[in-house]
Amino acid sequence: MHEMALMGDILNLVFDDAKQKKITKVKSITLTVGQLSNALPDALEMAFDINKAQGHDMLSDSSKLNIIVEEAKATCIFCEELYKPTHRIAICPKCNMPGGKLTSGETFKVETYEGE
Amino acid sequence: MEVKLNADVLTDNNAAAAHNRGEFSKNNILVVNLMSSPGAGKTTILEETVRKLSIKYRIGVIEGDLATERDADRIRALGAKAIQINTHGGCHLDARMVAKILPEFDLNEIDIMFIENVGNLVCPSGYDLGQHHKVAVLSVPEGNDKIPKYPTMFRRTELVLLNKVDLLPYLDFNVEEAISDLNGLNPESKLLTISARTGEGFNSWIQWIEGAFEQCKQPNQ
Repeated sequence: MHEMALMGDILNLVFDDAKQKKITKVKSITLTVGQLSNALPDALEMAFDINKAQGHDMLSDSSKLNIIVEEAKATCIFCEELYKPTHRIAICPKCNMPGGKLTSGETFKVETYEGE
Repeated sequence: MEVKLNADVLTDNNAAAAHNRGEFSKNNILVVNLMSSPGAGKTTILEETVRKLSIKYRIGVIEGDLATERDADRIRALGAKAIQINTHGGCHLDARMVAKILPEFDLNEIDIMFIENVGNLVCPSGYDLGQHHKVAVLSVPEGNDKIPKYPTMFRRTELVLLNKVDLLPYLDFNVEEAISDLNGLNPESKLLTISARTGEGFNSWIQWIEGAFEQCKQPNQ
């Protein structure tokens, strides 16, 4: 359950930036979470709700977490096929060679936040 | 007002990892981050590794566990310097925890540092600690299906130590399938078969470490 620790990092990033900008309330936070980033959107939502319930003064009951899920995609270095990887990420479904390199799916970023 | 932050969630961890990496390279230390599920044999492997390497190298070990000093005590019993990090429920080590205890080592006096992560095949794979190499341990009783079931771990490590191979005759672990699944995730990853109990396969593992040590001393690495 490392989403609690990750949410701690997310909130620190946002709150530190907000304080510098004299923002007192954070209304929403938007994340991009890659399918292979090892973070589970549902568990992030739960961690966000727990932080809200603990009553942090920069969050309110109506504060929202938006998650943009980034699909996993890979390109084969041998035949240049673009594919959605299964659990055998590096195996190209077209030429069956282990030449797949991920082009997306590992992003885990705080994109924006809305404050007042 | 909307603010564009565009910041990696692990920004803070990655800064601490860069700090650790700087400290390690300043002191010419090879650092290996050892990860596995609980009970795969990380500490037993380390005990045998420390015994074999101590003849030529000065070894340091960072032990990560939720509680107790037991693992650090096992390493200290061999005469190596070991510092225990207790995460008190935390499921992985992060670079900040490592940075915090680094001053407890005399880094000048260390050639090779092993970081034994908290036993867990999921979360530790996401955190850069400032190591040179990530090594996963998988043990025969766990079954070869753990490689496809935990792809983030086995895709991000460059070496898998398959431990407890002395049990292969008694269990259904399929080594060929394990190698094929590992290639399917990370074609550059290697698998070495070892047994920390019998010492089988340790020569290859020690050679791998010595090769990595020589490589990390080169200034362009």
